[in-house]
Formats: sequence, C-alpha cells, structure tokens
Amino acid sequence: MKNKINEKLIELKNIHVNIKNNVENIHILKGIDLTIYKNTSISITGESGAGKSTLAMTIAGLELISKGKLFFKNKPIHNLNENDLAIYRSKYIGIVFQSFNLLDSMTAMENVNLPMEISGSKIDSKRSINLLKSVGLGNRVKHYPHQLSGGEQQRVAIARALIASPEILIADEPTGNLDKRNSEEIMNLIFKLQQENGSSLIIVTHDQSIASRCNQNVFLDNGFII
Amino acid sequence: MENKLLENLKINLHQLLILFKLSYRELRGSVKEFKIIIISIFLGVFIICAVGSVSENLKYEINNKSNILLGGDFELSATYQPFPVQIKNWLDNNGKTTHIIELRTMLSSKILKEQKQRLVELKAVDSYWPLIGSLSVIPKIPINKSMKKYDNIHGAFIDETLKKQLKINVGDILNLGQTKIQIRGIIIKEPDRLFSFATFGSRLLVTKEALKDSEIVVPGSLVKYKVKFIPTNKNLKLTFLKSLVQETNISIKTIKNSTNNFNKFIEKTSMFISFVGLISLLISGVGISNGVNGYLIKKIKNIAIFKTLGAKSSTVFQIYFLQIIFVFIISSIPAVLLGITIPFLLSSLISQNLITSFQPTVFINPIIMSLLFGMIVCLLFTIIPISRTYQIKPIQLIRMSSHHSLNNFSKKIKLLILVLILSLCLLILKLTGDLKTSFYIFVVIAFSFIILISSTNLLFILLKKINFKVGSTIELSRKSLIRPGSFSKSIVMSFSIGLSLLITLNIIEESLDYKITKTINQEAPNYFLIDIQPNQIDKVKKITSDIIDLKSLNSQPMLRGRITEIKGIKVDNLIVKKDVQWVLKSDRAFSWSNQIPPNVNLISGKWWPQDYDGPILISVGNKIAKGLNLKIGDVIKFNVLGRNFEAKIFNTREILWQNMGVNFVFILSKNNIERAPHTWIATLTNKNKKGINTILEKIVKDFANISYISVNESFQAIKSLLNLLIVIINSIAFLTLFSGIIVLLGILNVSKKDKLFEVAIFKILGASPKKVIFLWLQEYFIIGIMTSLISSVIGISVSYLLLKYVFEIEFYFNFLTISLLSLFVPVIIIIISFLKMFAIIYLKPLKIIRINNH
Repeated sequence: MKNKINEKLIELKNIHVNIKNNVENIHILKGIDLTIYKNTSISITGESGAGKSTLAMTIAGLELISKGKLFFKNKPIHNLNENDLAIYRSKYIGIVFQSFNLLDSMTAMENVNLPMEISGSKIDSKRSINLLKSVGLGNRVKHYPHQLSGGEQQRVAIARALIASPEILIADEPTGNLDKRNSEEIMNLIFKLQQENGSSLIIVTHDQSIASRCNQNVFLDNGFII
Repeated sequence: MENKLLENLKINLHQLLILFKLSYRELRGSVKEFKIIIISIFLGVFIICAVGSVSENLKYEINNKSNILLGGDFELSATYQPFPVQIKNWLDNNGKTTHIIELRTMLSSKILKEQKQRLVELKAVDSYWPLIGSLSVIPKIPINKSMKKYDNIHGAFIDETLKKQLKINVGDILNLGQTKIQIRGIIIKEPDRLFSFATFGSRLLVTKEALKDSEIVVPGSLVKYKVKFIPTNKNLKLTFLKSLVQETNISIKTIKNSTNNFNKFIEKTSMFISFVGLISLLISGVGISNGVNGYLIKKIKNIAIFKTLGAKSSTVFQIYFLQIIFVFIISSIPAVLLGITIPFLLSSLISQNLITSFQPTVFINPIIMSLLFGMIVCLLFTIIPISRTYQIKPIQLIRMSSHHSLNNFSKKIKLLILVLILSLCLLILKLTGDLKTSFYIFVVIAFSFIILISSTNLLFILLKKINFKVGSTIELSRKSLIRPGSFSKSIVMSFSIGLSLLITLNIIEESLDYKITKTINQEAPNYFLIDIQPNQIDKVKKITSDIIDLKSLNSQPMLRGRITEIKGIKVDNLIVKKDVQWVLKSDRAFSWSNQIPPNVNLISGKWWPQDYDGPILISVGNKIAKGLNLKIGDVIKFNVLGRNFEAKIFNTREILWQNMGVNFVFILSKNNIERAPHTWIATLTNKNKKGINTILEKIVKDFANISYISVNESFQAIKSLLNLLIVIINSIAFLTLFSGIIVLLGILNVSKKDKLFEVAIFKILGASPKKVIFLWLQEYFIIGIMTSLISSVIGISVSYLLLKYVFEIEFYFNFLTISLLSLFVPVIIIIISFLKMFAIIYLKPLKIIRINNH
C-alpha cells in the first residue's frame, strides 16, 4: 500500500469545546487548528486535564463542538446531527479506550463483530477470526471478557476497532491499565495493524517513547496546542 | 419493482434479526435483574386472566345449561291463583308439562322435647317433574317412589342446611300443617335451582298431594303456581304464548331471559375483580418502571459503547425495547398458563356450590385481554425509562453521569405514550362493555393518580422546606430522602395506592357493620309475620296484647299485583332508569289505608280523608316516583288477580328502607280493594324476648299457614354473605399491598449500590453501625408515616364520598382500626428494608469502596 502523505483526512479549524456540569461551564479546547493526513500516525500528549482525550473524542464525533469547524475528507462534520455522527463513526472511526469497554455479556468474537452488526453490514466470520488471531487470541474467540486478562481484553478491543477497516484509529491511552510487558506488546500490535490496515492513527498518551514512534506529535497545554 | 420490494424486505428482516441478536446477547446474564419486573407483570396478568377465565366458564356453563336451569323451554308462573283451566289444558295438550307449586311456610321438628321451627321454601311437584335433568339425593333412591304416601305419611326431601337447622335426619317424621311427612333423602342438587345456598328459607320438596293434605294453602296465601313447558311444536313463538295468557296474571320466562340476571351478576363481579387486578397491575407498573430505571442505570456504559461503535439512538432504544418485550413474554406466559388453570382448580368447588357437573374449558378471550392489559401497562411504564437511552451520550464512557433530565421526550415517544393511554381506555371499555362505567373507571384512576402524585409532591416540598439542626441524624435522614435520584417518592406512591384501597374498604365495611348492628339493636323489628289471613289478624292481635302489648305489633294488609300501564303507556314500552326497573319487572306487594301510616313523611301532596270513597288514589315512594317520572295526578294501571284497575297519584312520601319495617312502595286508598283475597303482614318489635317467643309458639300452633322470619337471622345471613365478599375484596386489596412490597424490593435492589456507598462514607467518617441503623430507621419511618398520612387522607375522603353518595349510609370511622392499618405499612417498610439491607451495615468500608469501584 502506498502512503499518500499529502492527502488531508481530518481538518480542525479553531475548535472550541465547552463542557457543562451541574456546577460550572468548563472550557476545555480553546481554538484548536490541526490537520491529520492519511496513513499517518499522530500522538497527542500533555498534562492531565490538558484536553487530550477531549480532542481525540472530538475527532471521533463524540464531543459536542461549541465553536469551530471539523472536516473529514473536506466534508463538514461539525454540523452533523447525532444519527449522522453515528454513521460517521461506524464507517470511518475505530476507537480503543484505556478501560477496554467490552460488553460483558458478549464473547470476544461477538464483541469484535459488534460494529458490523450495528452498521448492518454483512459479517465475515473468517475476517473476525483472522483479526483475533492477529492479536494473538485465536484460541479465545468464545471467551467472555471476565474470562480474559486485561491485556487480552485490550487485544479484543483493538480487533473490534479494526473490524470495519476504519480510516482513522483512535487510541485513548490504550496501555494505561496494563503492565509494561503488555503495554509494549499492545503498542507494537496497534502500530503493526495500523500499517497493515492503512488507517491513520491518533494516539493519546503520556508516554514519550510511544509518541516518538508517531509521524506527528501534538502537545496540549490547557486547551491549546503548543 | 417486485425485486426491489423483495430486496427491501430482505434488508428489513436482516436488520430485525440483528436487533434480536444484539438484544438477546445484551440481555444474556442480566435476566436476574428483571426478577422484580417479572413478578410484577406475572401478578397483574395472572389476576386478570384467572378472573376472566372463571367468569367466561361460568357464563358458558350457565348459558349452555340454561334449559336445565329453567326446567323446560318456557316457565309460566302465576301468583295467588292456579292457571285458568283452558290455559292449563292447552299447555298439557301441546307439549310436555310439569305443574309445580311454591310457597314459604314454617316447618317444625320436635327432637328430645326441643321444638325447632324454620321458614322453608316449599316446592310441591307432580310425578312429571323434572322435565329436564334429574334430582340427586342421598341416599340414592328412586325419586317418585320415595315421595309417595305410605301409611298416611308423605315422602319429602330437604337440603343439607335444613337438616342442620332443624337437627333432623333421613327417616324423621314431621308435621306439615294437617299432614305428616317423612324425610326420605337429602337434596344434593336440584336441576332447576341455580343457587344451592339458602336465601330466606331452605328447600322442602314434597308432592302436590302432600301439600293438599297439609291444608296450608288458603285463599290469599302467597303461592306461586308454575308450569314448566316443552312444546311439541319446536317453532312455538314467545309472542304466541304471551297472547295466550293475555289478560291473566301469568308471566313467562324463556331460556334466554332466565339467565340474564345471573350473567349480569357474573359480569359485574368479574369486572370488579378485574378492575382490582388492573389496579394491582398499575401499582406493579410503578415497580416495573423503577426496575427498568435501575436496570438502565447499570447499562449506561453498554449504551455508551453501542453509541460509540456507531449505533443510532433509535437502534439502542429498539435493543432495550425488545428486551422488555422478551421479559414480558417470559413473565406473562406462565401467568396466563396458571390463570387458565384456575377454573379447573375451582371446578369441584363450583360443582358443589353453583353448577352441577361444571366442566371447565379454556377460553381465548381472557388470555387476549390479560396479555393486552399486561402489555399496555408494561409498555406504558417502561417507555419513559427506556426513552432515557436517547439521552445517554457516548462520551459518558469517559465522563460518567447517572442523572438525566427526563422531561425532554421526543414527539414520537409522546405520541407512543398517548397511543398506549388510549389503548388502555379502549381495553377498559371492552372489559366493562359500557362507555359510562369505563369513563368513571378511567376518571377514578386518573383522579387517584393525580391526587396521589400531587399530595406526595406536596409532602416532599414540605420536607425540602423544613430544616432540622445541622448535623443531627434527622437532618441527615431528611437530606437522604430529598437528594436527587432518591426513590423515596416511588416507595410512598406505590404503597399509598394499596393502603388507600385498604383504608377505604375498611371504613365502608365498618360503616355497614355499624349500620346493621345499630338497626338490629334500635330500629328493626324482631320478627316478620307473613301470610296472616284476614280472619286471623284479630286473633293474632289478641295473642300479642295478651302476652306483651298491642303496640309491639304493626300489621298491614297486603295484596300482590303488577303494574301494567303508567300514564297510558304500556310497561313494556316504557323507558325508565335502571335503579327503578325492579318496580315494573315482577309482582309488587301493595297495601291500603285511609289513615296516614305512623312515621310517614310526605314529600308532596297530602293524605286522602279518612272517609274517602271516590276513585282509587295512590301514595308512591318519592324516589320511585322520581325514577318513573311520576307526579301528582298521574295514573297508574294495575292488574291484580287478572282484574285491571286504575289509581291516581295523590301524594309521594319518603320510604326509610333502612328501618327494616314493613314498607310499601304503593299504598292505595281503601275503596273496595279489601274485598279482594289478601293477606296481612305484621312485624313484632319488643325487647321482651321471652314474650315474643311465647307469641310465636302460640301463633304457629294455632295457625299452620302463618310463617315468621327472624330479622336478626336474616341480618346475620346478609352479614355473613357481606363478610365473605369483604374477605374476597380485602384479599385482593392485600394483593395490591403485595405489589407495593415488590416495588419496595425492586427499589432496594436498585438503590443498594448507593446505600453501600453511603454506609462506607458514614463509616469512614466515624459513624458506628448503630448510628447507621438509626439513620435508616428514621429514613424509612418518615417514608412510612408519609405513606400513612397520604393513604389515610385519600381513604377517608373516598370512603366518605362513597358512603354518602353511593351507599347512602352514615359515615362511621373507627380511629383505632385505621391507625393500626396505617401503621401496618411503616412497619412493613422498616422490616423489609432492614431484612434486605442489614447485611451491608457490617461490611468493612474499604471492602465496600472496592466493590463499588469494581
């Protein structure tokens, strides 16, 4: 697969995100301008509370943009309604969370197939099994999350994020809950599969060694890119 | 075009299949979360299905066996006089007939010097009776043969009640007027008698020869002559028979109209019980709603995951909606299965008491009705919590929050709720079959819910406003009750429905009981004497004045007849209010007097002069006059013993039915009526019981035809019937309280996590288990007291309105009973809550924190 470094995939223009809670209105992102290109990897680093996860989730269409514009392949995303955002996510985005977020009542295989079922696409069991094999869980397809270790659960989450061949893979501190050995294995896996899949990778991390493996690095401080 | 259609269908089916799959997988392992919801749905659906199945079976059996119950295709009956010979002959020559005479009389037994007397319903039959069905007696003996006269003694059958009342047995010989009868068997089932329990008298079955020999029937005796008739010509029309008996006092019953009243009774009773079932289902609805709420709070993470992975809100809604449907199916199917078996379980009881050889079957109607009721209530109460899925944002995977506004429903959800409410109204309409009743039921339900919600809200607003000393335990309990997300309002509301119902029923029961006891003790006469012949009345008066005093005896002449026309309109063509239809339906007793009777309160007009001798005048009870739209000067036409006469209304008066004295709707001016064959009716009222008993003994000894009825015993019979009804209603009301308990258990399940955390924090901050227990005790006590307060207010006001405007009985309120009943609920709430929560009080705080974080 050829890398088209210059092809714009995501473009953020003066993005502001405000979050209201019961007490106050918190201004988290304060005018972010960022462009992400196809088949690249980008790390988002910064202090706790700097807005790293909020930025990643804004790109995923999960945060409500208070001001500014977000484009995916030059098409506006910021003005989509909830249903269209859901379609956007199911077609183009794969997400891996720090806390795995698997459905407890479903097996590894069923968790992996979930995005396909939600989008109403045809399920290719071979592909699901191959994906699980590629994350080292070929023999755990029928296991439920509570029967898997933390590292194994995260592998299922990675396979689930990649099942629909998303153009963007977002990983929000994917190794935050894992030990060192598992963390290394998971990161290697994410980079390997991203390359194989031809996706762009957005990774939120505190770890400089992970950030250094990416093509582009973004450092956030108090809602600003520095 | 066709291919495109197929393609679309394929896609839709595929999507539906995926939805089912996702819904099932998501539910896997969570079924236990639904146990309270399952019990709630089960209970409501079961009650409605069971009641519906029993009533459908009874109606089917009655209608199927109506010719047996009627004893023929037609029943012709006349009071006082036997059938005219030409009619009797026509009936005998044109089909199968059996001739029956029925009357009430006294039967006495003398066993071991103890004389016992009882009013009996005597039925004298010929050898052709019964035309359809058969009489079953113990011991099993040939009926006709054993009723025959041997050695001047006639054979007779009695029912079990009479056997017990007179302490007699098979083989005993008794006096019936001037003849002797021997008990030759005990009746198990009489084919043409629907109810086997005693009304006013128990059954005595003899031959017509025995009745003739007894000489108890004298001119003017209240005797009913009946002919059961099966015509040879199967196409014989009722109109023909009616024309045959025109100008006589014979009335005709057909198979169709003979069971009307019973069907109506069954319908009304089952409607009432189904209504209570519906109330129970509605209370369960609160439980279902809380249960689903709690379930979805636990599922917020999963909902967020679905949405993060690209699921639309509508898809997520459909996933959980399907789960509710699934839960409904697994809870309602066993409920329906158990419901339809109830008639089978009750079959021997029904066979013994109501319908012989009762053969239950399964009816589809109650199954559909109960499922529809269950489904609508279930959806009505779950649609709001499920629509919460729309408000859960995928970002909650990162920023968790469990409190959402529930006020912003989409138009679709609002429309769905409206459709469900309308469907519920339609179902109530189907259940009652009457628009007016349905409207009342719906208004009562809506009104009760409004009162309940507003009074609960009011109390909680007050609770918010009150401030106790900062740091005091009562202040901590108060804050816990009013904090956002607290379920205390739901507990108060669900228990209040059941408790209000119990209090209302209790006050009505106590008021009725009070009224009955008061009437027996103060107002009602001790005995009624009936069938006194005109030549006997002076002798009865003499006996009374000799033994006690004449004032104790209140006697009035009585004649029976039928209203045929009112204001020139034939009764058949009249449209009158339901509550006065009984006046026109059958024979009515009326009296005459030129003197204004004692204690009469005239409402309009005046009494006619003592020496009045003009055209017949009439005094009518004012409520009946109002119901029949009659006013002074209107003319009523009567038929007495085949003779027609007219009477002009001269006054209306108030009738106090409650005093249980001799009350006549119609009192005529004397004129020539007293020459017609008539009897006298009298009441005996005196506190001298011994004297009264001596009078009765003497009257029965001297006059075989006079019967007496003990008012006290009749009241006791009514009271025991009333008590039975009250026990049934109370049991169902307790069921509604049980629904409240289920709601409480559900809420405790849902709020267990919060409570765990609360315990941990209190303990970390230095509270001892004792203090935590005290805090909770206070909290649940406040909830209980609020429930009692709301229920008492609702119960007292509803029962007051019902007693005043429906029963028209004095409101009687026993403070102690109501207080005990009201305290019952706080005690239940405290006990259940403690049983459920006690285990967590002694958990170590760190362990709790770990459990919570997990």
